[in-house]
Amino acid sequence: MPTNKTPNRTELLQGTLDMLILRTLLFGPAHGHQIAKHIQRTTDEVLQVEHGSLYPALHRMERKGWIVAKWEMAKDRNREFKYYRLTPGGKKQLVREQSRWKQLAAAVATVLRPVRGD
Amino acid sequence: MSVWNWLRSRIARVAVWRRRDRDAEVERELEAHLELESEEQRDSGVPPEEARHAARRAFGNTTRVQEDVREIWSAIWLERFARDVRYAARSLRKSPGFAAVAILTLALGIGANTAIFSAIDALMLRPLPFTAADQLVRIYSIQKGMFNTFANPDGPSALDVRDFAQRSRSFQNMVAYDTWAKNVSFGESAGRPEQMEVGLVPAAYFEILGIRPIIGRLFSEDENEEGKNYVAAISAQLWRNRFDDDPSVLGRKIRINGEAYSIVAVMPNVIPAWVEPGRHSEIWTPFPYSPDMWAESGRGERGYAALARLKPGVSVEQAQADLSVIAAALAAEHPVDEGVGVAVKRLADSRVGALRPMLYLLMGAVSLILLIACVNLANLLLARNSARQRELAVRAALGAGRGGLVRQLLAETLLLSLIGGAVGFGCAEIGLTALARMHPENLPQLSSVGIDWRVLTFTLLVSLVTSLLFGLAPAFMGTRLNLVDALKQGGRSGMSGRSSQRVRSLLVITEMAMCLMLVVGASLLIRSIIRLEGQNLGIRQDHLLRGRIYLPPVRYSNPGVRTRFCDDFGTRVRAVPGVMGATVTTVYPPNNGWTQMLVIPGHPVTRLQDVPTAQFGVVDQHFLRTLGIPLIRGRDFAEPDSATSPPVALISKEFKRRYFATEDPIGRKIHIGPPQLPGIAVEENITDDVDVTIIGIIDDFKNAGLAHAPQPQITVLYSQHPLVNGGFKDILVRTASEPHAVESEIRSQLRALDSDVPLAEVQTIDELVERSTGGRRFTTVLLASFAVAGLALAVVGIYGVVSSLVAQRKQEMAVRMALGASHGNVLWLVLKHGLKMAVIGAAIGLCGAWAAQKFTAGLLYGISPLDPLTFAGAPVFLLAVAAIACAIPGARVLQIDPAQALRHD
Repeated sequence: MPTNKTPNRTELLQGTLDMLILRTLLFGPAHGHQIAKHIQRTTDEVLQVEHGSLYPALHRMERKGWIVAKWEMAKDRNREFKYYRLTPGGKKQLVREQSRWKQLAAAVATVLRPVRGD
Repeated sequence: MSVWNWLRSRIARVAVWRRRDRDAEVERELEAHLELESEEQRDSGVPPEEARHAARRAFGNTTRVQEDVREIWSAIWLERFARDVRYAARSLRKSPGFAAVAILTLALGIGANTAIFSAIDALMLRPLPFTAADQLVRIYSIQKGMFNTFANPDGPSALDVRDFAQRSRSFQNMVAYDTWAKNVSFGESAGRPEQMEVGLVPAAYFEILGIRPIIGRLFSEDENEEGKNYVAAISAQLWRNRFDDDPSVLGRKIRINGEAYSIVAVMPNVIPAWVEPGRHSEIWTPFPYSPDMWAESGRGERGYAALARLKPGVSVEQAQADLSVIAAALAAEHPVDEGVGVAVKRLADSRVGALRPMLYLLMGAVSLILLIACVNLANLLLARNSARQRELAVRAALGAGRGGLVRQLLAETLLLSLIGGAVGFGCAEIGLTALARMHPENLPQLSSVGIDWRVLTFTLLVSLVTSLLFGLAPAFMGTRLNLVDALKQGGRSGMSGRSSQRVRSLLVITEMAMCLMLVVGASLLIRSIIRLEGQNLGIRQDHLLRGRIYLPPVRYSNPGVRTRFCDDFGTRVRAVPGVMGATVTTVYPPNNGWTQMLVIPGHPVTRLQDVPTAQFGVVDQHFLRTLGIPLIRGRDFAEPDSATSPPVALISKEFKRRYFATEDPIGRKIHIGPPQLPGIAVEENITDDVDVTIIGIIDDFKNAGLAHAPQPQITVLYSQHPLVNGGFKDILVRTASEPHAVESEIRSQLRALDSDVPLAEVQTIDELVERSTGGRRFTTVLLASFAVAGLALAVVGIYGVVSSLVAQRKQEMAVRMALGASHGNVLWLVLKHGLKMAVIGAAIGLCGAWAAQKFTAGLLYGISPLDPLTFAGAPVFLLAVAAIACAIPGARVLQIDPAQALRHD
């Protein structure tokens, strides 16, 4: 068990990042920085999103048609950002990923069930 | 093609444009993100400069991100592959020497193999163009110690074939047939005649081969009877050339030997020339069985071709066993069949005849070339990749994945193989054209050989596997290697330098060994062909032209008429300006005439096998003078020797040695014809049972083929021997200048005598000799060029090893020189290594050549397959070449400046 003070950075499972991004975009369009920040904030900095993974993932999902991107002016800053938003296909994918995740989590939980006398 | 190019450039441009666009976009996106990040840092109170650095640090490798994104968008593997290929092309361009040698090596191996195997496939492996061709067999007579001196399989007699057919159970059908050169003219009028091969075949011949006429009908059974046989079948080729595919050709007449035959069928062009015993037939007539053909006296008259179709399910071995029993029974019944066996051979196996062992030799040789080429390729790739170890290590250090490195080496290897394959294909095309041009007389099929795609694919695959094996093995080893070590090794490039060097040395030794075998084989063949062609025929060989005539029995039934015609022809030709002499004869070197049985006083015989025989020729009085054969004793034929004077004969030295060893033969009488042996009806020879007086002894000349020693020869005058004064005669003309210059004048003299008799097979004796050695020369030229190619490859191999040795051990050499070693010492160090490989290789090669002797023995003439001169000379030659190949890179050692070389590291 690492004992350093920073919260444990957990490597995301393949596909999990996709799910988190899709989930983030469910609340509305966001650019890369917002997505990364949102994921970090909502997990109390447990999950760090590496840029090296974030952008390839975004582009991969764009290519698969789950999200679309558009350059738009940010409301608070005088600058254009590339905003990603969910497509219907992306929503379906999110549903699929979530149910799969639940199954997986349940399965892992079964294995980790406290043993009597523990 | 241009549309394709246009399209491709369009796609490429769009792809590039889109990629650039996206790259820019990703950069902008990342930049914006970065800005935001540093703003946030600044907001939390970090100084601007530091904030920016912190943001960058947090961000990581933007280029990597960009690449990853690009990868996602590109049509991934295709684009990656294209990039690898581009990269490979660039890196090959950067080392043109390596690329050129590797491509040439591949091209040579692939090209030579494709050409030779395509030819061999067409000549002896491709299925025959007949239905159920594996049921087709030929039947030969084997005569042990009998009249066939040269132990070639010979044809059976018609009676044998009849009895075989009646008594055996293995065959559906069996036929004896023959071909004859005949005077043929087309159209009703006697046009200008030509001598052509005419097949004499019963209808069963076509039935056995399974060939139906295109139009018309097969011969009927009674058309095989003499008098009813004036019908002919022609080939589709002839139909096109002479009759413009006219369907009304049926019923038209052609004149054969002055007699009219009506065309009843056009046969498809499927019968290859080698199925027929003579040369290629375009006309077939029935085989007129004369009544006396079935008389027992004809049983010894062998030499017919015999073809049969096996019953389904009967093997050749079963058929052979079946016929052997019958042949043994026949031998017991008929003394003339004593010692005569039978052989059943697949028709397909008879196609290349005597050239078969040569083709096998070529096949072996060309396989050696492929091996050498592969070894060389392996060597080159090993050398290149071990020299590139450092480059690979640097790349790995800069973040190239192992997959990427392997992929790139793979692309390079594939690119090499493909270019090599393409060039090899070109080489094969050129090679085949050259083969067809050499066109040995006995391989007419060769002119129609095309590239065999299976062979091309096979050789390409072999070289590809080699490339992959040796191109990638170091890549795997290489990519696994410890980066730090490789980089630390600095100038001393090369992983495991020593072990790769050892593998390469082994490869070079292998090359040297195979190369030596090729050199030995080629020089043995070259020396035997020089001997064969440079032989003294026993005559003055230059400026001697020959032509053949045939006097058909229809108009020349009387021997007196034939004698007059031949004498007139000779006299007219001798009067032609530029003609020094001419003789009409049936015998001239190097051809064998016919073998004649004799009765010689003092040589009593009781067995057929012991009957004295000699090569027999009928000539006119100008024979010796025209050919330039020296008279040793006695007198030449002269004017007074005529049809009415006592018959006289000339014998050769060999004849005297064999049959008159101690006595003087001049003035002695011998009997031309077989002896009277109890119970043996010998009609084997055309003979006139006459006694001749020996008047002179002449020098020996080659009368049994080029490759055999002169046999006893007896020569008589055709005017004195009406029964052996046949229709086939040759005229030999001695000219003052170019022999072919008088050809047309000779023809017109012949036409003046009889416009219906053509002059055929006109060629000089030199040409005749050359043609009869055509097959050997063909093999020799090929084998010699393989040896040269193998040598070139081996030189490249040894050169490569030595030069990389020099490069690798430069520092060591410099140290040695700094410590006082002379240039010579250091040079020797390099040469020693190269020569050691050559010596070991040569030694192994000698063993190989020794082991191969039984394959070469049959192909040589006048030279032992273990000829000491060749076995000593070839290794010396190889070592000399190897020494030069080592010395060139070795000389670089001499240019080493110790101070500089040592500082360099």
